[in-house]
Amino acid sequence: MLEIKDLKASTGDTPILNGLSLSVKAGEVHAIMGPNGSGKSTLAQVIAGHEDYVVTEGSVSYKGRDLLELEPEERALEGIFLGFQYPVEIPGVNNAYLLKAALNAKRKHHGQDEVDAFEFLKLAKEKMALLGMDPKFLNRGVNEGFSGGEKKRNEILQMAMLEPELAILDETDSGLDIDALKAVAHGVNALRSPDRAIILVTHYQRLLDYVEPDVVHVLSAGRILHSGDKTLALELEEKGYDWVREAANA
Amino acid sequence: MTALALPEKALADAVRGLPDNALAPNRAAAMERFLERGFPTTRNEDWKYTDLAAVADISQRWLENGATAPIAESLGDQVAEIRALLDIDWVVLCNGAIVDGMELAAGEGLSLETLSKLAHAPGYEHPLADLNAALLPDGLHVRVRAHSKHDRPLGLLIVDGADSGPGVSQARIHIELEEGAQAQFVEYHTSVGAADHYANSVVEMSIGRGASADFVRIQGRNGNHAQTHRTAIRLDESGTLRYSGFDLGGRLVRNDLDVDIMGRDASAIIGGLYIAGDGQHIDNHVRIDHRVGPARSEQAYRGILGGRCRCVWNGKTIVQPGADGTDAEQSDHNLLLSERSEIDAKPELEIYADEVKCSHGTTVGQLDDAALFYLRSRGLDRQDAVRALTRAFGASIVNHAPIAAVSGLLTDMVEKRLSALTDGDDE
Repeated sequence: MLEIKDLKASTGDTPILNGLSLSVKAGEVHAIMGPNGSGKSTLAQVIAGHEDYVVTEGSVSYKGRDLLELEPEERALEGIFLGFQYPVEIPGVNNAYLLKAALNAKRKHHGQDEVDAFEFLKLAKEKMALLGMDPKFLNRGVNEGFSGGEKKRNEILQMAMLEPELAILDETDSGLDIDALKAVAHGVNALRSPDRAIILVTHYQRLLDYVEPDVVHVLSAGRILHSGDKTLALELEEKGYDWVREAANA
Repeated sequence: MTALALPEKALADAVRGLPDNALAPNRAAAMERFLERGFPTTRNEDWKYTDLAAVADISQRWLENGATAPIAESLGDQVAEIRALLDIDWVVLCNGAIVDGMELAAGEGLSLETLSKLAHAPGYEHPLADLNAALLPDGLHVRVRAHSKHDRPLGLLIVDGADSGPGVSQARIHIELEEGAQAQFVEYHTSVGAADHYANSVVEMSIGRGASADFVRIQGRNGNHAQTHRTAIRLDESGTLRYSGFDLGGRLVRNDLDVDIMGRDASAIIGGLYIAGDGQHIDNHVRIDHRVGPARSEQAYRGILGGRCRCVWNGKTIVQPGADGTDAEQSDHNLLLSERSEIDAKPELEIYADEVKCSHGTTVGQLDDAALFYLRSRGLDRQDAVRALTRAFGASIVNHAPIAAVSGLLTDMVEKRLSALTDGDDE
């Protein structure tokens, strides 16, 4: 589904990704771990198409297409979803408006009829119940005045509504209490299917207790140093990242 | 820069050609005052950014043409269209003449009369108000009787335009809310017709003791027309004014809003939204004079600018000696959608009293890239994302308009204007 080869990317004059390769197949859940500044968030932003990051070398193909050719909205319509590490507050843009506009943009793109207000509300309330969210959040500005946990749940709500084929969750687990973490994990697990892939970018092993990954990668200085199964996450939790770096340098 | 004058003889002929009524002596006096000063020029600090040369030019050509211009044919359609948009009672002023609505609401605490019948000579010695008084065929006087309450807004429709030859029109409305009266007004300025047009209007309102006025002004003039509009409001003790102005059209627009707080515990809450695109110049000057305290005033303006345009905002709050307990806020926030748009925003506080709370803030910014990317990453195309963010920027003003009956219309009008602005027509 996603094939990244020797990817190099910079922001301004600062190179951040230094020859990263990653292959994700439909049905898989990958966890990407690594210390601060290793390039985890940059990878997520590059896949979503953020203009601040310039790809200088390498390629990214998604469902056989050159992903780097596509505008951010085209990527979204083709099934990519980024759960933001810091979801943006947009006062005055209603949460319901965004969800409905996003859902209908996607349906239109795939030649489906747009949902009407009634169908939309029914679907949104159903997904919100799943995540333990108060329907009142629909009528608030996007993330406006939301707590950290509420913002993350809101990201998962958007994901649940849009049903992406490739979801990248950028530190969605950071700063969550255990209830919010469980709700997020529940939302992710509900999305798991043989047709979809999920990339979890995380600092901690904690989320992986609830969402079991197929592959765990360690990212450092813009490259994947090491990949393994779920036990790698436990090992990292116990020993930190230094041993991976040392092993890679040896 | 030379003075922007009008030819004396032609102006005098135009004044003499007006209907002979009780306003005639006042016209002559107002004309004399206008001739002494002419139009304000950019040498005047208050007019630094707004050049009335085009307005003087239209007026001159109109005078040369014998001070007549046939009423635009589509004017009737425009009136019908606005009536259909908003189901309220309308008084209609076409090219300054009151053509409809005078029969409204008689005996229900609201009375409408012409200024000539009341022999109310318009005062207010400002050059543009003088020009208005000099060339005014007649004006409207609205009286809201003491303690009467009106839930249904009164519409004041000012519609102008000519199909050929430059047109000039004057409209004048006086509103008097007596003690304890409550009323709502929707003032709608629009214009049609292919000819150049300059509309100069004056509204004077007095809000009596404990009275309250909710006021929405909507300006949706033709993109080739000019407007100068002066509103002077007097607030007595415990009087309340809630006023919102929306400027969506016009080529050259200057609005002056003057509020005099004459009595304690009065409150003036003022909001405004201006949206300008290619070729437009929209200037809003607000002056609030706190003569006594305690009293409260708030000015909250926002501007959305696209294409090659210029907007001006000047908010002045004066706190006179002894007006202790004044609580005054001013803000003006602007969103620039293009590099060729320009805003001159200036808050001014003149404080001569000690116990006051005054604040002001102005900002000029562009669309938030992070928000834009966030929306696009959800599948909204750039245009929809830009529109959602610009709409959101204006929403705080639209949502605070004090008359619920117009909120749907305002939302639609702002949406339509923003669509044109963000569709690339005005970039």
